[in-house]
Amino acid sequence: MKLYRIYGITLRYLFLFRHSINKVADAFYWPVIDLLLWGLTITYVRSANPGSDNFIMVVISGLLLWQVVWRGQYEITISLLEDLWNKNLINIFTTPLKLNEWIVSVIVLGIIKAFISLVFASAVALFLYQVKILFYGFYLIPFVLLLFMTGWWVGFFVAGIILRYGTKLEQLAWSTIYLISPFSGIYYPISILPVWAQKVSYLIPTSYIFEGSREVIQKGYLADVSKLWNCLILNLVYLVISLIFFKKSYNKVLENKGLVKVF
Amino acid sequence: MDNISLDLKEGEILGFLGPNGAGKTTTIQMLLGALTPTKGEIVYFGKDLKNNHEEILEQVNFSSTYTDFPIDLTVKENLTYFSYLYNIKNRKQRIERITEIFRLNDLINQPIRNLSTGQKTRVNLAKALINFPKILLLDEPTALLDPEAAKYIRDFLLNERKEFQVSIILTSHNMAEVEEVCDRVIFIDKGKIIADDTPDNLARSIEVSHVKLFIKDGLKRTVELCQKETISYRIEGRYIIVDLNEQDIPEFLRGLMSQGVYYDEITIDKPTLEDYFLQVIGKK
Repeated sequence: MKLYRIYGITLRYLFLFRHSINKVADAFYWPVIDLLLWGLTITYVRSANPGSDNFIMVVISGLLLWQVVWRGQYEITISLLEDLWNKNLINIFTTPLKLNEWIVSVIVLGIIKAFISLVFASAVALFLYQVKILFYGFYLIPFVLLLFMTGWWVGFFVAGIILRYGTKLEQLAWSTIYLISPFSGIYYPISILPVWAQKVSYLIPTSYIFEGSREVIQKGYLADVSKLWNCLILNLVYLVISLIFFKKSYNKVLENKGLVKVF
Repeated sequence: MDNISLDLKEGEILGFLGPNGAGKTTTIQMLLGALTPTKGEIVYFGKDLKNNHEEILEQVNFSSTYTDFPIDLTVKENLTYFSYLYNIKNRKQRIERITEIFRLNDLINQPIRNLSTGQKTRVNLAKALINFPKILLLDEPTALLDPEAAKYIRDFLLNERKEFQVSIILTSHNMAEVEEVCDRVIFIDKGKIIADDTPDNLARSIEVSHVKLFIKDGLKRTVELCQKETISYRIEGRYIIVDLNEQDIPEFLRGLMSQGVYYDEITIDKPTLEDYFLQVIGKK
C-alpha cells in the first residue's frame, strides 16, 4: 500500500468537495436544517413537560452522532457513484492504484468530512441549544470510531451491490443506512421497541453506542463497558464480510463487463 | 475474444482494426487489467500482468474516447491527482510540460465540463503521457479531433516513438491514419485475429485497383463494356471509376480502344488499407 496513491485519490475527492455545491450542502446545510427542526421541536416538547431537561441533550447528541454513521457510509458509496457517473473508474483502476488503497482513501475522506461536519454541527448545537458534544469526554472517541465502522460496512456493502448491478440501484446510496436507524435507538431507548425489534437491535452495532451515549448523559459515565465490546465485535464481523463482498463484486465486474462498461 | 495471441516490440506502433463490436476495446481493456480474460496470460516486460499489476501499470498508460474525467475538476486538478497515482517526481514541472505539449495552457484552470470534446480528448492524452509510459494504449485517440489537431497528435506519437522508443497500440477507424502511423496492423473480427501484417502488405493483398478515366467520347460504350465483362464501376460526371485487378488493366484499356472510346485522363489508385477493410467486411 502506497501513501502517495492514497493521498492522490483522497485529493481527487477533496477537489470535488471544493467545487460541488451539492457536497457543501451535504456537509453543512442538511445538518443545520436537522438541528433546527429537531431542536425546536424538542424545545417545544420540553416547555410542555417540565423536568425533561436531558431530552434535548439526548436528541441533539443523537443527531450529531448519527452524522458520523451517515457520513462514513455516504462517502464510500457516493465516491464510487461519482466515478461511475463520470466513466472515470477505468481511468483510476488502470493506474497502479490497488483496490485496498481506494478503500483506505474513501475511509480517510469520510473521516475528514465527518470531522468538518461534526465540528460545524456541534458548534451550531452549542450556539442554539447549549448542547456540548464534548460532554461525553473520553467516551466520545470510542463512540465516534465505532459509529464510523458501522458506516463503513454499510457503505462497502452498498458499494458492492452498485458495482454488481449498476447505477440503476443508486438510490441505495442514500437510503440503506436508514434501514438500521429504527433499530439503533438514536433518539429513544431500545426497550420501547417491540420484542422482535429489540432482538434485531442486538445485531445492530449502533444500538449499543446510542444506548451507551444515553447512559453517559444520565449517569455521567458508562457503567457497562461491554456495550463497546459488543459493538466492536459486531462491527468487525460485518466489516470483514462487507469488504469480502465488495472485493468479490469488483472482481465480478472485471470478469464479466470490464471497467469501461460498468455504469 | 477467441484465442488471440499478439506481441508488441519496443518502439513499435501496432494498429487494431476491425468493425464496431469486433473486440478492439475489449482487447485494450484486457491489456490494462480492466477485464479479466477467461484463460491465457498477459505479459509485459517478461512479467505477468496478474501478479505484477502495480509495477507494470506504472509503465503503461492509456487514453480512450469512451472514458471521461470528473467534470467539476479543473484540468490541473485532474492531472495533479493522476500525478500522485503515478508517483511523478517534479509533478508541477511535468504538468506544465504536458499541458504545453497538448496546448492546454489556457485551459489549465477550466473545469472539464467547460471543455469541448476535442479539448477533453487532449486532456485525456495529456493524462496518458503523464507517467512517461513505455507502452501506450490508445483507443481511437483522434476520433473527436479536428484534422489539424489529429495531425498534431499523429506527429507527436511518431516523435515519442522516435525519441523515447515508446511502444503504442492504437485503435482507429481512420484508415489513412493507421497507414501513416502504424508499423503493423492486426485486423480483429468477431473476437478473432484474422490478419497480422504491415499496412502495405494488407493493402497489397487486395488485387483490385481503382482506375479513373475521363471519357471525352464513348461513356455509354464504356458502361456497356463494363456490364458485359461484369466489371464493377461508378460514374462521376464524365469520369468513370472501374475496379480492376492490376493484370487486367491493359486488356480493359485495349477493349476501350476497340470500342472507339476516347479518354484523355487516367489515374490508377493502388489498393489501400480501406479497400482491405471494406473487402473483409464485405465478405462477411
